[in-house]
Amino acid sequence: MPLVRALGIALLGLMLTQGCAFSRGTLGDEIKSDAIASIKKGASTKAEVLTLLGAPDRLLQVNGRDVFQYYRYDAKAGSLLLIVVNFSRLSVKSDDLFVILNREGIVEDVISSKRTDGMEFRFWPFGD
Amino acid sequence: MLPRMPSACLIVLLVALSVINAGCNVIRIKLNTPITQDDVAFIEPGKTTLTEVIAKLGVPDSITDSYIGVVATYRFLDMKYSRINFGWLLKPWTPVDPDLIISRTGFGVDAYELLCDSNWVVTHQSFLRQLSGPLFNPYPF
Repeated sequence: MPLVRALGIALLGLMLTQGCAFSRGTLGDEIKSDAIASIKKGASTKAEVLTLLGAPDRLLQVNGRDVFQYYRYDAKAGSLLLIVVNFSRLSVKSDDLFVILNREGIVEDVISSKRTDGMEFRFWPFGD
Repeated sequence: MLPRMPSACLIVLLVALSVINAGCNVIRIKLNTPITQDDVAFIEPGKTTLTEVIAKLGVPDSITDSYIGVVATYRFLDMKYSRINFGWLLKPWTPVDPDLIISRTGFGVDAYELLCDSNWVVTHQSFLRQLSGPLFNPYPF
């Protein structure tokens, strides 16, 4: 009977011992909020933007204007490994910044969003 | 009150439970936050500007130029993958790892596109695929 009990405890322990894995991957440098705040619409020049943020990831021509696009991707993966049942979830979000320059090379508009804020490691694949 | 279960029965039950759930994988991958019809209900072609859209949906993933205007695209993905390996049922009784796997993946790739005129006013808007959202269903046939 002690053997059965020991086996039972060992088996229960095995089933309750949850293996977890956390992984993270990023692409690109962080787009600093203070650098974005330093860009003034109607005043900052193309050279100033390049000094603050470096070369853009993409250079677009839209609506007769030059657009500098900066982006950064962040991926967080969580796994719950229960030996026989595994749950995993990978969340990928991006931070994007578009700096729109007029024909004179002056910043006309700055649009940005930081989607990666508040992104958490999650392993449960169901639900939102 | 439930009768006390003998230890041996408990062990068998635990083993049975582990075998029933043997070799299952459930994986989900999300890229950005999927946009729904409700999220874009406020957009009125001819009235709403791209700035108003950005204020609610965030910055698009890409902005491109075309002969008829500017195209702003929001991309997202909601991939669901599930897999069952029935070979695990035989694992305790065989010296090799037998595999009998069924799995299915729903990629759920979609995009929401906006066409704007030269004044950044939205003139057209549409989802690329209008996916209803794949389910976790490992049955591939």
